[in-house]
Amino acid sequence: MNGQEVAFLILAVIGGLAGLLVVTSRNVVHAALYLVVALASVAGVYLLLAAPFVAFVQVIIYVGAIVVLILFGIMLTRAPVGRRVLDNTLRARVGAFVVGAGVFIMFTVFLGGAFGDERIENQGATATEALGESLFRNYVLPFEAVSVLLLAALIGAIVLARRD
Amino acid sequence: MPLMYPLVFAAFLFSAGVYGVLARRNAVMVLMSIELMLNAVNVNLVAFNAYLRDELVSGQVFALFVIAVAAAEVGIGLAIVLLIFRNRETVNIDEVDLLRW
Amino acid sequence: MHPLAQATTQPLPLPEVDWRAIAPELALAVAGVVLLLVVAFWPRAGRGVLAGLTLAGLAAAAALTVWNWDLERVAFEGAVSLDGITRYARAVLLAVGALATLMVAQGDSREGEPDDSPPEVFPLLLFALLGMVLLAAASDLLVVFIALEILSLSLYVMAGETRRLAAQEAAMKYFLLGAFSSAFLLYGIALCYGATGSTNLLEIADATGDPTADGTLLLAGVGLLAVGFLFKVSAVPFHMWTPDVYQGTPTPVAAFMAAATKVAGFAVFLRVFAGALGGLVVSWRPVIAGAAVLTMLVGAALAVVQTDLKRMLAYSSISHAGYLLVGVAAAATVPAGVSASMFYLLTYAFMVMGAFMVVQYVSRLGPPDDDAIGERSSLEDYRGLARRHPWAAGLLAVFMLALTGIPPLSGFWAKYYVFLAGIEAGLTWLVVVAVISSVISAFFYLRVLVVAYLQEPVGDPGAETAPGRTPALGVALGLAGLLTVAIGLAPEALIAAARSAERILG
Repeated sequence: MNGQEVAFLILAVIGGLAGLLVVTSRNVVHAALYLVVALASVAGVYLLLAAPFVAFVQVIIYVGAIVVLILFGIMLTRAPVGRRVLDNTLRARVGAFVVGAGVFIMFTVFLGGAFGDERIENQGATATEALGESLFRNYVLPFEAVSVLLLAALIGAIVLARRD
Repeated sequence: MPLMYPLVFAAFLFSAGVYGVLARRNAVMVLMSIELMLNAVNVNLVAFNAYLRDELVSGQVFALFVIAVAAAEVGIGLAIVLLIFRNRETVNIDEVDLLRW
Repeated sequence: MHPLAQATTQPLPLPEVDWRAIAPELALAVAGVVLLLVVAFWPRAGRGVLAGLTLAGLAAAAALTVWNWDLERVAFEGAVSLDGITRYARAVLLAVGALATLMVAQGDSREGEPDDSPPEVFPLLLFALLGMVLLAAASDLLVVFIALEILSLSLYVMAGETRRLAAQEAAMKYFLLGAFSSAFLLYGIALCYGATGSTNLLEIADATGDPTADGTLLLAGVGLLAVGFLFKVSAVPFHMWTPDVYQGTPTPVAAFMAAATKVAGFAVFLRVFAGALGGLVVSWRPVIAGAAVLTMLVGAALAVVQTDLKRMLAYSSISHAGYLLVGVAAAATVPAGVSASMFYLLTYAFMVMGAFMVVQYVSRLGPPDDDAIGERSSLEDYRGLARRHPWAAGLLAVFMLALTGIPPLSGFWAKYYVFLAGIEAGLTWLVVVAVISSVISAFFYLRVLVVAYLQEPVGDPGAETAPGRTPALGVALGLAGLLTVAIGLAPEALIAAARSAERILG
C-alpha cells in the first residue's frame, strides 16, 4: 500500500463518517457543518484522482457557495433542532436504512464484479488546459445550455422568493 | 490505487444520501442528502475518468456540469422551501399534506 | 516577453458551431430573453402582449424547424443529432407550447382574483420548451442531463409561482422527488460511462454491440437510467408524485406538464433505449414490459376511484404512459414501434391538453373562492354541465372519448398503431394487458360524461357566475378539439410523417 492509497483511505473514512453524520445529526447547523467536511474530503479525493481543477471548483462552488446557501436556508427557517422535528418515525427510518444498505450492497457487488481487479494507474494531474479545450470544443453546446439553465434558475428563484 | 476504493466510497456516500432522503422530514435536510448523492456521482465520474485515461476528460467535464446544475437546483429548492415556510411556518414535508401523497 | 503573454499569442482552437442545427432552440432562447426584458422594463405589459410575443417566438422556432425538416446529421461533436425523432418531437412540442401559452394567457382566475401566475411564467414556459426540444435532440448523456434539468427547474417554478397553497405544495413535492430521481439517473450515466468509456450515445451503441465486453456493469447503469426516465414519464412504480403535482399545479401548467414532458421524455427514452441500447434489448425489454404492465393497470385502476377530475387525469396520464411503454418495448426490434410511439405522443398531447382546458373552463364557473386551497376541479362541479354549457360539455365528450380510444377519434388510431407494433414485436401478451386496461379506463372516462350529461346540477343554478370572457381559452379549446377530430379522420398523413422518424441517429 503506497502513500496515495493511505491518503485516500484516510480521506474516505473522514468523508464517509461526515456523510453519515449529515444524515443522522439532530441539529441542522451541525449537519451543514458535517456536510462541509464531507464535501472537502471529496475535494481531496479529486486531488488524488488527478483532477485538481475539479477539486478547486468543488471547494469554491460546493463548500463556498452551496453550503453557504444552505446555511442561509437553515437560518431563514429558524434552525429547528431535535430528532422529532428533523426525522421521520422510527419505522420509516428502519425502512430507509434497509433501502440505503440494499443500495450500497447492490452497487458494491455490481462494481466489484465488473472492476474488482482493476487499478487506476498513476498519472499526471489533468491540465486545466486540456479540460478547457474539451469543454469549449467538444462540449460547447452543453456549456451554452447550462447558461440557459442558470438564467431560468435565477429568474425562478426570484419569482418564488419575492413577496408581492 | 485500486479502482474499487473510490467506487466503494462513492457507493457509500450515495447510499447515505438515499437514507437521508427517506429518513428525514425536514426539507432542508432532504436537500443536503441529495447533495451527498450528487457528490457520490461526481466521485464515480472522476474515478472512471482517471481509470479510462479519457483523452476528452469527459468524466471531469461532466462533474463540473453536475456541480453547476447542483448549485442552480439548490437555489430553486431553497426558494420553494422558503415559500412554503412563509405560508405555513413549517418545512416538514409530511406536514405539508393538503394533497394526499 | 512575459510567459503568460506568450501563451496567449497561440491561436485558440475555436469550436465548430453548427448554428443551423440548433436554430429552433436558439429562437426559443432569444424569445425567452426578450420576454424577460419586456417583463423587467415594461411591468404594465398585459398578458395579451406577453402571450403574443411568446407565440411569435414559437412561430419563429416552428418556421426554423420546417426549414430544417430534411436535415439529418449529428452536430456539435455528437452532442445533438437531427433525425426523425428530433423533428417530429420539435413540431409536436412547439404546438403544445402554443396551446399552453393560450391557456396561461387566459390565466387561472377571473378578473379581480389575485392568484394568477406572474408574468415571468411566459419566459419560463419558453425555457422549459427549450429544454424539452433539446432533450428530444440530445445524443449525448451530458446533454440529456442538462436538458432534463432545464425543463425540470422551469417546471418546478411554474408549478409553485401562485399564491395557492396546493400549488406551492405541489412544487415542493415535484422538486424533491425530481431531484432525487435525477441523482439516480446521474448514477446510471456514470456507470454507463465507466462501462463504455463515453457518454456519447453513438459510442455507447458501438460498445454495446461488442459481445466480448463485460455487460454486468452496463446493465446496472441501464437499470438506473431506466429508473430516472420512468420517473420523468411517471410510470409505475415511480408515479407517486404525479397525482399530487397535477392536482395542485395551476391547470395550464399541469396541462403543459402532462403533454409536453411526456413528449420530450418518451422521445429521449426511445433514442436511448431503442437507439443506443438497442443491442441490449433482450436484457431491458422484460423490465420495460413489466413497468408497462404495472403502469397501465395501476393507472387505470386508481383512476376509477378518483373524485377529482384533475387527479383522475393524472392517473389517466399514468396509464397512457403504460401504452407508450409498450411502444418503447417494441421499438428496439420493430421500427414501427418508434413511429407508433411518436404518433401516440402527438395525439395524446392534444387530447390531454383539451381535457385540461375544459377543467380550466369549468373551474371558472363556481362562485369566487379566495380561500380555496386549490382549484375547483371536483367531479361534483361537472354535474349537469351539458345543460348549462353545451359547448364545453361537447368538447369534454370529444376528449374523453378520444382518451378512451373510441373510433374514429385520434386516440383510437394511436392505440391501434402501438398495439400493432407490439404484436409485430412478439409482445402479444403485453397488448392483451393493454386492451384490458383500455376497457377498465373506459369506465372512468365515460363516468365523467355520465355526470356531465345525465345528472342534475346541484345547488341553485342562479348562484353560478359567468365564466367571464375567455377568448384565448376558447381558441385553444377549438384547436385542440379540431385536431383531435381531424387526426382521427385522417391519420394517414401524420403516421406517414412519423414513419420517417423510424431511423434513429444514435
